[in-house]
Amino acid sequence: MSSIVAGPGPAGPAGPAGAAPVPAPLARPMRTPDGERFLAELAGQRQRLNGCAAAAYAALYANVDVITAYPIRPYTAIMMNLAQFVADGLLDAEYIHADGEHSQFSAAFGAGSCGARAFTGSSGVGVTYGFEMYSIISGARIPIQMAIADRTLDPPGDFGSEHTDALCTRDMGWLLGWAATPQEAFDKSLIAYATGEDPRVLLPQMVCQDGYFVSHIAGEVELPDVADVDRYLPPYQLPFPLDPRRPLSHGPQIHPEQGPPLQLERARAMEAAIPIIREHTDEFGAVFGRHYPHFVEEYLLDDAEIAFVISGGHAVTCRAAVRRLREQGVKAGMARLLWIRPFPTEDLQQALAGVKAVGVVETNLGLGGASYGGILSLDVTTALYHTPHRRPLVTSFMAGLGGETVPVAEFDWMAGKLAQARDSGRVEKATHWVGFED
Amino acid sequence: MANEVVRQILPLFEESGRGAAVDDSEGRDRHYLPDTPEEDPYQAGHRTCAGCGPAIEYRWTLKAAGQDTVLAGPTGCMYVANSTYLCTPYTVPWAHTPIASGGSFTSGMAAGYEAMIRKGRYPGPYPNIIVMAGDGSAADIGLGSISGALYRNHDALFVCYDNECYANTGIQTSPTTPYAGMTTFTPVGKAIPEGKTLPPKNLAKMMAEGHPHCYVATTTVGYPIDLMNKTRKGLNHHGAAFMHCFTPCQKGWVYQTSMTVEIGRRVVEAGLFPVWEYDPAERRYHYFHPPVQRPVTDYLAMQGRFGHMLPEHVATIQRAANLNWENIGMDVPASLRAGEDPAHHQRLREEEYAMPLNRGVGA
Repeated sequence: MSSIVAGPGPAGPAGPAGAAPVPAPLARPMRTPDGERFLAELAGQRQRLNGCAAAAYAALYANVDVITAYPIRPYTAIMMNLAQFVADGLLDAEYIHADGEHSQFSAAFGAGSCGARAFTGSSGVGVTYGFEMYSIISGARIPIQMAIADRTLDPPGDFGSEHTDALCTRDMGWLLGWAATPQEAFDKSLIAYATGEDPRVLLPQMVCQDGYFVSHIAGEVELPDVADVDRYLPPYQLPFPLDPRRPLSHGPQIHPEQGPPLQLERARAMEAAIPIIREHTDEFGAVFGRHYPHFVEEYLLDDAEIAFVISGGHAVTCRAAVRRLREQGVKAGMARLLWIRPFPTEDLQQALAGVKAVGVVETNLGLGGASYGGILSLDVTTALYHTPHRRPLVTSFMAGLGGETVPVAEFDWMAGKLAQARDSGRVEKATHWVGFED
Repeated sequence: MANEVVRQILPLFEESGRGAAVDDSEGRDRHYLPDTPEEDPYQAGHRTCAGCGPAIEYRWTLKAAGQDTVLAGPTGCMYVANSTYLCTPYTVPWAHTPIASGGSFTSGMAAGYEAMIRKGRYPGPYPNIIVMAGDGSAADIGLGSISGALYRNHDALFVCYDNECYANTGIQTSPTTPYAGMTTFTPVGKAIPEGKTLPPKNLAKMMAEGHPHCYVATTTVGYPIDLMNKTRKGLNHHGAAFMHCFTPCQKGWVYQTSMTVEIGRRVVEAGLFPVWEYDPAERRYHYFHPPVQRPVTDYLAMQGRFGHMLPEHVATIQRAANLNWENIGMDVPASLRAGEDPAHHQRLREEEYAMPLNRGVGA
């Protein structure tokens, strides 16, 4: 794999416990007896869990080896739940209280580099505090997982949800998926581990959920049979761990001319993840009976003339708004992005084929970008510019910033702007600030 | 059920007659070390400078640790000089970490091995887990990360190889750069004639005082057996260990390349780098009392980075050295006490300092 160099091997007779053959992976992961009992009882149960609890249950099922935690609202509750699982003896994992997010992600990286399944997470400025680590971890191709319950970046201090934190990291080589419900947060964690750890991908994953809207509001979560999880997500086997039996050097210094091929390799891994996400999403459906679209949830898009592109929990409101618009005779629809990296260019082009005006609901801040609005519209616009179908008009809506809700009335207002664009054949402006304009 | 984590215990080397506490007169044989392992997990083929102190530390530490070791190296001169893509000097697994991640990445490695062994995913004994962080990494940007790792007591050895500057980036001041040490961020000028105006951080004491459950030791490349034994004691200690190793940097300090080991001893004999061991069981320091006590000028005069010093600067350093002597329980001879007076160093202004650079034995 990229930037991994084989060592000259043990020198002399005093090598490590001989050249011990590498054991075959365990058929089933080892859990604690209490953990086995607890998980056996959970099989098939429907529990009311918020997004944080759901993410913690997913890590419990995934039998993670190392958890690295540092408190910041709102994702903290994921780590609180996991700390309790460890304290109760339900999960045998090393739980590291890091001294900050940079250390937190580094520790997960170190554990992952040795072959442990590592789990970490953060919110808001915590996500940005550890920023250095993102490119390093994906470049080292260590598939750890990070749960993000998003939060507005400072200033000023604000607990509310905003997608800016995770979206800032979008180009760092992590798979980045967004869950709209606690159930999806649970499921996506398993799908993301399965995809990221797939030897054809080997990339770290961010599994995002909206702070408070998802992380702190209970939803029904169906908990699976642990045997199914073990089948779907077998014990982790990194192909190139830091292991004294097979010495390797990770991450040596390169010369400039060695840079392009390594970067290309990482870019290709991200592209290669697209079919593998499809594969693991389908397999997930086959094993657990919950079938997700691969990348884009298409809601009433078949004959839609105007459509919202959205990610995360605001889609719940958006669906209701679209239903109401339909009742009023407006041919509206919604495309929800389940993954933002890799960006589902083809799936989105396909989903929006025939739509005349597309409105990107940003719920994030991208100051001074091409649209002078949010981050998401840049990708959506690029994807639609290259669409093999008729190119729709695209505008973006700044809404739901700082943790504000996006009520149905605001979707109505946005639909009005999209209908105007559809009728006039041009967008009024690239970006609308919802609530600040007539 | 969880598997048991079996830990390695490495035997110590015989120190008698060749350890730190040997006078020049009896030190002839102290570099003849037939009982040290032949293996060198840190092999030739790297690009360190001639006379590199950290390279000596790397070699002795890894020789003491052996092959069943996992090593991490935060960014620093020993990252850039040692590793070149498609080539590696390490016969043990090694990983680069960001400069601030020495402690945290290593925590992760330790935690990973604990969990993987317990959960049947790694069959061997718990490997020696070592990180070698430069002084910039350990005392500055990654201080919190190493402190966090020591506090959490991961079973690993955290080494600071201290060349008293950010050498990788072209000799900039770090918190361990001594008073009056010239670096490219503390240049000498009319307004600031001493160059560096601040005294150094006492990194090892901070680690020992702040993490009293840890094994903490200081050593230098001047005392190979001491360095190797402290490596092994740190690894044998069940829990976190911190070893602060003084490693001269020929490029940054400007001295004759053959003098690295000599400087590693002279700094101790000048009272500027106390060598000690902190025993967490007793919560006590065990200080090494060098058989020779020298004026600081014997140390300073060997190095170009101190070449600009004025008598008052030398006197300031002699005062610091004398305080060190007192702190480690040694008497300050009158000749060293006299050096606290700038007038004592006045002749430095007029004469070229003529200090014998070769002892004739040992080095």
